[in-house]
Amino acid sequence: MNTFMGYRRPGDRAGIRNWVGVLSVMDNVNPVTRAIVTAVQGTLAITTLFVRGQYGRDAEIAYRTLAGLGSNPNIASVLVVGLETTSTEMIADRIRSSGKAVEIIVVQDVGGTVEAVAQGTRKALALVQKATMLQREPLPLSYLTIGVECGGSDATSGICSNPTIGEVADRIVEAGGRVVISETAEFLGAEHVFAERAVSDSVRQQFLKCVTDLEQEALRRGVDIRGTNPVPDNIRGGLTTIEEKSLGAIAKAGSTPLVGVLDYAEAPTTAGMHFMETPAPAVESMTGLAGGGIQMILFATGQGNTIGSAIAPTIKITGNYKTAERLKDNIDMRVDPILTDGVSIAEMGKRLLELTISVASGQFTVSEALGQREIAISRFEPTI
Amino acid sequence: MSVRAVVLHANDNVATLMGDGKSGETCAYSGARQGEVNLRQDVPFGHKIALEGLAAGEDVRKYGQVVGRMTASAQAGEHVHVHNVESLRGRGDLVAKEGAK
Repeated sequence: MNTFMGYRRPGDRAGIRNWVGVLSVMDNVNPVTRAIVTAVQGTLAITTLFVRGQYGRDAEIAYRTLAGLGSNPNIASVLVVGLETTSTEMIADRIRSSGKAVEIIVVQDVGGTVEAVAQGTRKALALVQKATMLQREPLPLSYLTIGVECGGSDATSGICSNPTIGEVADRIVEAGGRVVISETAEFLGAEHVFAERAVSDSVRQQFLKCVTDLEQEALRRGVDIRGTNPVPDNIRGGLTTIEEKSLGAIAKAGSTPLVGVLDYAEAPTTAGMHFMETPAPAVESMTGLAGGGIQMILFATGQGNTIGSAIAPTIKITGNYKTAERLKDNIDMRVDPILTDGVSIAEMGKRLLELTISVASGQFTVSEALGQREIAISRFEPTI
Repeated sequence: MSVRAVVLHANDNVATLMGDGKSGETCAYSGARQGEVNLRQDVPFGHKIALEGLAAGEDVRKYGQVVGRMTASAQAGEHVHVHNVESLRGRGDLVAKEGAK
């Protein structure tokens, strides 16, 4: 199977969903955004906390990620909601450069939140009526950009669920698509193995610098990361050290060369497998991936991490037979037969690829259908 | 009564349990290395056991790579985890100690 049913977008891109995004520029208008989303079916709230008063690298990351989330090809068009004109226009303009329709609501200008919700509802309604005229069409797998993620990992993650994801990653890259792995901390102890796959010295050095800088920062602050990563459920599941966790984690990137190193929420511009620098926790890293235009995420969990990305439908896989039973409501596919029934990783990878194509073509994942979705844009500095 | 375990690489000195194991039970490991060992404690599913005697300070090897260092010795069949293994990465506490000397 080498096509999926997707929505064509400007700039020769494709979306696997067709939401109208209602996007808050800052946390101070989230209630307005949520009220509009409640009033109009077919909309998706794109909200985070903070942003007002951020500066330097944090401001750059916040604006890039907001613009990236609005520009994600799963979003047909966007209503940008802001408190004041300057920041609202700035974000709206950045999203407009993706070629999609963007409307705005400025709360101070329209005269308060009640009016903002009323006008926003009418604008979102018009956008949804237009967006729902679009149809899916057959598109090659080269139009897919897939994120690979793990959370709530345990010993089964590195042995079967991550390698199964790695099989799909390889197929997508072979078909001319893109794969992005993130979570910088989860390369500590495995970075030398991963770096060998870099296509050039420059890519190799850029990647290693990300991992070294992160470790240097921890050392500089006297932080012993053993208290933070692995987390308690990793340890309960048998992972003893970050090194062990990382060596299991890299399997989800498959076996193709590392072609690029991306900043948080930066979009990949070439085919192949990329690394994106993000914090390790799931919501933050998936927000970075979605901000970079990733359309869907393959997510391995050992102990049971249930959250998905708000914008990129997230497929949850587990290789832990206990989790597959206990958390069956939140698991899309179980791969524990690799360990218990001798099913090969290659065979499981084929089944996961079929599910990937089905989700790309419109099948809802459980986290999507159950509304288990969240957004958190990473920040690293204090606010003024 | 035996529980299975897998060994991922020929250079590994630990195996990972594929079921919950009880103290005294035989553990049959397979994969890159094959054999049997008696469990010295209850060891949960997904946790590791030593394949041979490991000394304090010795590298723990899994996936053919170093994944940590023993902080105490362990016999073959003993549970190998956070109580007797330390990570070697992100150890800002060690740097802080050095600075204080």
